[in-house]
Amino acid sequence: MRYLVGRIVWALVILLGTTWITFAIVFVVPGDPARVVAGPRADAATLAGIRRELGLDRSLSTQYGRYLWRLAHGDLGRSYANRQPVARTLAHRLPATAALAGAGLAIAIAIGLAGGLATAPFAGRLVDRAALVGSLAILSAPVFWLGMLALYWLGFRWRLVPLGGAASLRHLLLPALVLGIGTGVYYARLLHTNLQEVLTADYIRAARARGVGPVRLLAVHALRNAALPLLTIIGLDFAALLNGVVLTETVFHWPGLGRLAFDAVLALDVPVIMGTVLLSAELVVATNLAVDLVYRIVDPRIRLG
Amino acid sequence: MKGRLDRRAVTPLLGLVVLASCFGDPPLAWPPRAPGSQRGGVLFLAAPDDVPTLDPALGYDSRSWMYEQHLFETLVTYDDESRLVPQLAAGWSISDDGRSYRFTLQAGVTFSDGTRLTAADAVGSLERVLDPKTRSQGAEYYRGIRGAADYAAGRSEHVTGLAAPDATTLTVALDEADPLFLHKMALLFAAVVPADYARRLGDDFTDHPIGSGPFVLREWRRGERLVLARNPRYRRNDRPFLDGIVEQSGVDSELAWLQFLSGEIDVAGIPSADFPSIRRAAAAERPGRLISGVALVTNYLGFNCAMPPFDDRRVRQALNYAVDKDDVIALLSGRGVVATSFVPPGMPGYTSATRGYPYDPERARALLREAGLGAGFATELWTQSSDLDLKIGQKVQHDLAAVGVTMTMKQLAWSSFLEAIRQPRRVPLFDLAWSADFPDPSNFLDVLFQSGRSDANNHTFYANPTFDRLLARARPLTDPAARNRAYAKAERLLVDDAPVLLLYHPITYVMLQRRVHGYALHPLLPARFTDVWLDPEPARDQGTGAGS
Repeated sequence: MRYLVGRIVWALVILLGTTWITFAIVFVVPGDPARVVAGPRADAATLAGIRRELGLDRSLSTQYGRYLWRLAHGDLGRSYANRQPVARTLAHRLPATAALAGAGLAIAIAIGLAGGLATAPFAGRLVDRAALVGSLAILSAPVFWLGMLALYWLGFRWRLVPLGGAASLRHLLLPALVLGIGTGVYYARLLHTNLQEVLTADYIRAARARGVGPVRLLAVHALRNAALPLLTIIGLDFAALLNGVVLTETVFHWPGLGRLAFDAVLALDVPVIMGTVLLSAELVVATNLAVDLVYRIVDPRIRLG
Repeated sequence: MKGRLDRRAVTPLLGLVVLASCFGDPPLAWPPRAPGSQRGGVLFLAAPDDVPTLDPALGYDSRSWMYEQHLFETLVTYDDESRLVPQLAAGWSISDDGRSYRFTLQAGVTFSDGTRLTAADAVGSLERVLDPKTRSQGAEYYRGIRGAADYAAGRSEHVTGLAAPDATTLTVALDEADPLFLHKMALLFAAVVPADYARRLGDDFTDHPIGSGPFVLREWRRGERLVLARNPRYRRNDRPFLDGIVEQSGVDSELAWLQFLSGEIDVAGIPSADFPSIRRAAAAERPGRLISGVALVTNYLGFNCAMPPFDDRRVRQALNYAVDKDDVIALLSGRGVVATSFVPPGMPGYTSATRGYPYDPERARALLREAGLGAGFATELWTQSSDLDLKIGQKVQHDLAAVGVTMTMKQLAWSSFLEAIRQPRRVPLFDLAWSADFPDPSNFLDVLFQSGRSDANNHTFYANPTFDRLLARARPLTDPAARNRAYAKAERLLVDDAPVLLLYHPITYVMLQRRVHGYALHPLLPARFTDVWLDPEPARDQGTGAGS
């Protein structure tokens, strides 16, 4: 119990630090949020009025103090750009990003399993080499290029998926594919290597001696152990994906958190920048905390850690 | 061992299924079209980003205006030739001293919620724009109304210069005569909203807008789609033709073009690379109907006239001669005309008398030698981070190198760029465009080059007392011919002084599906959909269109 309280306090300290650093960075970059709200044409009087209304004429520490005070009351403020409550916008955007990250991860796992299993029996041979080169090519392909190419062929020429938009689960397919394919080939290589190692183990040899067929040997006996390190990585990757979909969301104009953050930074929309950064930090902190707690529950050996 | 890992992988996956299920749009239903009828149907559009706002007190960009002008109405507006015509007003009169206006509103107009639109709403709408709490970018246009300053400062409950003696009469008293006041009343900032309702909603009015325009907001899922539907209470029975408008957001221009080719959307801009072949095929109306219009816009490079070497007029003129503007037009695939004056053609006060600066590198070198810069100099062009700005920047770089000027480029995000060019001695050269708010030369010349306005939009820090005097003489004139003559005189001095490197006036090209009729580009306003109608095509509305 004491451990839990300690961890939660520490998590709050991290979040507080995040707000402070983000706030400081936003105000150090050149650009005047009031000017962005006022637009390129406003005269000095309009600008001054807007600055006063937003409280931007106060000192930085006053502004930060006010922000924290409202935050403590659960108020993330309103966007400077579209005047929407930030909390409502985040609640609207999070499912889109989670769906994209989840679907991307599912595709990555599928590619990883299929690729790893298919290439494992051919280690060192031509098929394996070709798969390695192919994986490298996909890993190095820029998301923008991959995205446009996929849209043109899969969406426009073959009409398999809708051309952009986020109206339904069908729209999810293409961005998820582009997001997942790079991670997928990485998983495939990882699984491939692990399988090589496991296939030399004594229990595999024993199974083979018992007359287990080659497919069952690979997909059941070997995979079970070879996939363990992969599963650990997948757990960590999900949090990273939630925060790392900015590029994919930008290419496909997916209405998620990544694009929200990107647009907010360009528009110097301080409340939205603060909100997205805070939510991302919260997701990472919460994931870590949850993983640690689960570890302690299922593995008593690290309970003292 | 196995159990532990499985649980960790399964929990987030379960969460995902739950999240994914609460996401996705319900389909939209539209009434069926009567066969052969001009009426009915839905126009499908696409845009890269969300509409910034639907609150007429706040929007100050063509995207917001495009939709605001269909939800709301102003007392006066522009016809297709940019002449002022009544909209909500039945008529108006102006006192001889030009300081009092009396508008008579059309009788029997209602808002889309069924409440009556009265002159008191018109008063309240203007007060809402002037209220500092609204943070309206348009407040400055109405500060000339008597008592506006006291009201904005909180010293009075109402603006004394605004009154509604009865339900259909609005009177406005100005501090001094303002030849532009009717233009200001045509801006969407002055749209009539249900004033009490709008005040009660505050920042949320944009999500639940109520107006008297031809359409109402049916749905707005930010980042996904915006849907307008016909306003059944619109004051004209014969308009609009369309049942609705659906704009899908999150579609960049390349993707929009693919959607257009697939027949998913009705209107699209044309990607640069495709433009030449499209124009050649225009007569065949393939893949659609091409329409175009010269926008009241000037694209230019601004010199910082307070920073050497651009404080020397000869250097500014030299650079104007050094750039081959025809090449710039070629870069635009012909979608522009060379600018020879700052006020664009089609705008009142435009003068064809200035020749601008034809391409003449010899003359450029001679002027630089005269200015003592025969050996050349180095400078930096600040631009926004768009492909076109970059391409034009590189072209200018190349031409300037030929006369010995070394130019580097610095690309910035819009907000940082805007802030930088306002600093008095920071940016030597910048890339910008200016578009007209209303058809009057003052909208270009006073706003950008008057010496007292360096705190607002005079980014070139140009200051010439003679020019200021010419502006002051032109500003109060109400006779159009005399006014335009006076501004043309100021403009000739300006072009000669060259605080800017004149580039071009863009031409907008838009492709329409052949089923679309009555769609026109307006020089001043975004496209209007009130007169748009579609070929009866019953099969399509249940077809592939976004969300249908």
